[in-house]
Amino acid sequence: MTHDNGTPRAGISRRRLLQTGTAGMTLMMSSVAASRLAAQETSGQVIIGFSQEPTVMHPHMPHIEVDEGIHFNLFDPLFTVDPDGNFQPALVSEVPTVENGGISEDGLNWRVKLRDDVVWHDGEPFTAKDVKFTIELQQNPEFNAMRRTGHELVRNIQIVNDHELTWEMESPFAPYPAILSWTFMVPEHILGSAEDPNQTDFRNNPIGTGPFTFGERVAGNYILLNANPDYFGEGPHLEKAIWRYIPDMTVLYTQFRTGDIDVIGLQGIQPDRFEQAQQIEGREIIVAPSASVESISFNMGKPQFQDPEVRRALSLALDRKSIVEAIYYGVPTPTESFLPKESLYYNQDLPVAEFDPAKAAEVLDAAGWMPGADGIREKDGVRLSFKNSTTAGNSVREQAQQFYQQTLASIGVEMEISNLPPAVMWGEYWQMSEFDTVMVGINFSTGPDPDVSNYLHSSGISAQGGAGQNTWQYKNDRVDELLEKGGSLFVPEKRKEVYDEVQMIVHEDRPFLPIFQYANLRGHKTGLEGFKPNVNVRIETWNVGQWSWADS
Amino acid sequence: MMTTANDVSTKSNRKQGRWMSSRGVRRFVSHRLAITGLLMISAVALLCIVGPWLLPHGMLEINIIDRFKPPGTDDYVLGTDELGRDLAARLFMAGRVSLIVGVAAMILSTLIGTVIGLVAGYFGKVIGTVLMRFTDSVLCFPQIFLLLTLAAFLEPSALMITLIIAATSWMEIARIVSAEIRSLRERDFVTASRISGASHSWIMFRELLPNIVGPIIVAATLTVARAILTEAYVSFLGYGIQPPLPSWGNMLNNAQQYLDTAPWLALVPGVAITIAVTSFNFIGDGLRDALDARSDMP
Amino acid sequence: MLRFILHRFGHSLLLLFLVSILGFTILHLAPGGPLSQFALSPGMTQAELHKIAERMGLNRPLPVQWFDWFTGLVIGDWGHSFRDGRAVLDIIMGHLFATLLLVISSTILSVGLGTLVGVLGATRRYSAFDYLATVGAMIALSIPTFWFGLVAIYVFSLKLGWLPSGNMYSIGDESVLDYARHLIMPSCVLALVQVAIWSRYMRSSMLDVIDQDFVRTARAKGLARSRVLYAHILRNALIPMITLLGIQLPTLLSGALVTETVFTWPGIGRLFLDSLGYNDYPVIMGVLMFTAIFVLLGNLIADILVASVDPRVRLE
Repeated sequence: MTHDNGTPRAGISRRRLLQTGTAGMTLMMSSVAASRLAAQETSGQVIIGFSQEPTVMHPHMPHIEVDEGIHFNLFDPLFTVDPDGNFQPALVSEVPTVENGGISEDGLNWRVKLRDDVVWHDGEPFTAKDVKFTIELQQNPEFNAMRRTGHELVRNIQIVNDHELTWEMESPFAPYPAILSWTFMVPEHILGSAEDPNQTDFRNNPIGTGPFTFGERVAGNYILLNANPDYFGEGPHLEKAIWRYIPDMTVLYTQFRTGDIDVIGLQGIQPDRFEQAQQIEGREIIVAPSASVESISFNMGKPQFQDPEVRRALSLALDRKSIVEAIYYGVPTPTESFLPKESLYYNQDLPVAEFDPAKAAEVLDAAGWMPGADGIREKDGVRLSFKNSTTAGNSVREQAQQFYQQTLASIGVEMEISNLPPAVMWGEYWQMSEFDTVMVGINFSTGPDPDVSNYLHSSGISAQGGAGQNTWQYKNDRVDELLEKGGSLFVPEKRKEVYDEVQMIVHEDRPFLPIFQYANLRGHKTGLEGFKPNVNVRIETWNVGQWSWADS
Repeated sequence: MMTTANDVSTKSNRKQGRWMSSRGVRRFVSHRLAITGLLMISAVALLCIVGPWLLPHGMLEINIIDRFKPPGTDDYVLGTDELGRDLAARLFMAGRVSLIVGVAAMILSTLIGTVIGLVAGYFGKVIGTVLMRFTDSVLCFPQIFLLLTLAAFLEPSALMITLIIAATSWMEIARIVSAEIRSLRERDFVTASRISGASHSWIMFRELLPNIVGPIIVAATLTVARAILTEAYVSFLGYGIQPPLPSWGNMLNNAQQYLDTAPWLALVPGVAITIAVTSFNFIGDGLRDALDARSDMP
Repeated sequence: MLRFILHRFGHSLLLLFLVSILGFTILHLAPGGPLSQFALSPGMTQAELHKIAERMGLNRPLPVQWFDWFTGLVIGDWGHSFRDGRAVLDIIMGHLFATLLLVISSTILSVGLGTLVGVLGATRRYSAFDYLATVGAMIALSIPTFWFGLVAIYVFSLKLGWLPSGNMYSIGDESVLDYARHLIMPSCVLALVQVAIWSRYMRSSMLDVIDQDFVRTARAKGLARSRVLYAHILRNALIPMITLLGIQLPTLLSGALVTETVFTWPGIGRLFLDSLGYNDYPVIMGVLMFTAIFVLLGNLIADILVASVDPRVRLE
């Protein structure tokens, strides 16, 4: 089978249409005339305020979540994930599943069928070649890939024709669909010829298939995207979308209040302003659940935390209710698990962690941790004293730290706050488990998938030579076994059993104490339609193509 | 920046000093601003030392129900902060921290500056040129840029911030000292001790140093003022003093977020910083008049 | 004159060389690194980050990295940002306008106001105005700039709603008036300290000239008071101010950085702070070198100006 096997008829006709006629001609002749009609009627613009600046336009180079806010609108994955966790076709004509034969029973063979009416922003047709290229790019050892997990297992990608391809998986990997739903397709005809895949102009002039084309970026100021009139799917309805970088939370909020920005995005409204924000006329405030879970994370490699009774006592001393209700104004929801409550896999039967400092003291007494001369408990020469770190400058988190610190002091446990600049905090200090404890919000799941091997499998301990983010140095053979099993199952009901057990064990082992599942306060002007929070993606501007103004 | 500005007021006040007494102490006492400054900073220091004992609440006492009480509520003189802690208690404790950091940074930077200036001025030639070029090269970075670069990459603590401030504010003293020493070096008394076989360090520290104590003290006072401002800014950005230890700067860091709902949280520490820094600037101005050797000359 | 300029220029180049070693060492010896921001991304691993660091040349010995960077610096290739891959010089130039706008407008404001206050103070020495100006200047020097900015935002944006609380212009309305509205608060806040400094210097410079012989002569000759003031005193008093402009550059830039952070002004200070947060070494070094060059150039020009006005300086 060769690359040019198929008949590129549709592609050629598309190209010819573009060359000869106006978009109007395309419209009449296209098979998806209805959606194209919608695309034609673009009007108005939206200004979205972000407190971080998107800078990385190449979706596969290392980036942070704020960058994905742009990627979602410039590019398309093969299929997307909706707020309910279901996959919706984007560049594919149907989402491959075991039922429709797209994925073989054993999960090893994939067959993907693509839409035939998709063009890149530069007019070139989108074909199977691009898909092959995108996946192989993640495997390229010379490329600074953001995410190799899953893609590494793909073997023998075969192009059946321009709009169909197959591949094999080295081993069954259930989270792969979820990973693909975050994998944006990039053009082979532009990137394929690059000498060094890391040094391309693509970073500043991205070309995708998405509802918007790249307009301009004024560094430190804003990014402008223009409507893509040839978009294959629904939308876009807006002519322009502008992301404004406003690094200060007070200014961001003030500009939302005064109407300088239409949408308050990433970092959004701070919880203490929730009530006030709801009073602003002509604004809608949305509580958008996020998959990130805030926790007190223990480094189990440190002697203080090897005793499970210590972790149990520290859990008993954690007043999660007060933290959530007072410090976070009740916006987030207390949680017991690392998975979001919206997930099908969230274990509803987990016991609720209680707050009882007196009992915490008893537990420590019983475990032999007795107060020393300075009032701090100790056992076998180990003092129950530790540092707690987080990113310096996060004043709300600092409040929670200090609040916890006070309770701990009352039961003879010393917690010292040592916050670090972000570059230091998340460097080796975190990755190589050099910390004592950390207060951190982590998004454990991969989109809608419950796989957490990267975080909780014992092979993921970087400090012990592993490859993953198990910075707690958590080791439990049963959990390892379950995670391996869960990763190879494709039937949700069967997988749920596995992950329910994982959650129960982790809840008992307490490598970290979940405090709450984040909920972000977002807001937009009344009249903006289509703004939909999605717990399965990392950013709220995942569907700007579907946004529109009500009266226009 | 304060040094340079106050340089100027000296020159003008110098003329005023002429028809007063020539004795340093009396001139300082008769310097109204200096005395005001001294009284102000004494009052601030006293409050910071004694204040926490007089208040009903400790600075770490968290009362989550009593959050954001405006000044004057119940027994909270200045209200409460975002965790329901007594703002007055925190302000005074923060004052201790900020003042100690300011003074410690001053002592350190004065030490570094004096030694570098002394050695550079005394030896001149290669050593002097190398040292002063180094000083110049540090000086041509805007201080804040240098300071933040250091602060952003080091583990923040009261000690660290003191060291960082000292490391970025010794240059002016070094310049002043080396200039003074260069003009003193060729005087008779130095030549005399050199001939009589005195060691270099003896000449530098016993013979030369006492002659330039005046300008050093003046510069040091103004360095305290600047160090307090610097600490405040770095802590304001979150790179400085870490909670729960309060400093005037990190109180402002937290306050910024509640600017529209609880403005007193920002107002109170800001006023405290201004008062303390103004005091040191006033005192420095007066000291300059009183101690500057040059002003004794007609 | 040419020799003087060349001498100063050589001196400046040596300083830049020292500055580059100093800055580079501080930055690279610090813990953490530019890649740590990706550590929390789903699917990222430490091993992968190591490989990326290697490919980016971050694992080479420090002197080698410095040499590479420095030779690039000399030939005008200041490296590329770790974040968006753009050339550092382009990035800095992109932020320069905002900073210059802020710095120049506040300098005009402070030079104008400062000169006025200084002249009035000097001509009415020991008057109530003079005393108030002295005390006022010292208090102004003592107010933390960032706090003053916050108070201004609270009063004029949050309470009164008169002025925007940040940014340089509104998107969609980029008229001069819109820029001006955004510029008022930051430039006034930045000018606060500068006015104080200028007025103090101006006052003393005026007094120095007033006491000089030629002024007494002019007065004795019976020249009108205002004529003496403007033709003789003010002109001579302004000469040392040229140097002051040069000396004040680092202070001004530091002040601009603080102001930019408070008002989210998209200038070089803001860029610097952002780059610090992401450990974007090439940009951080670029900004450090750029400000150093800026400062040196400012001083050099000031020196040349003074030397051309006052021949005695050249002899030194």
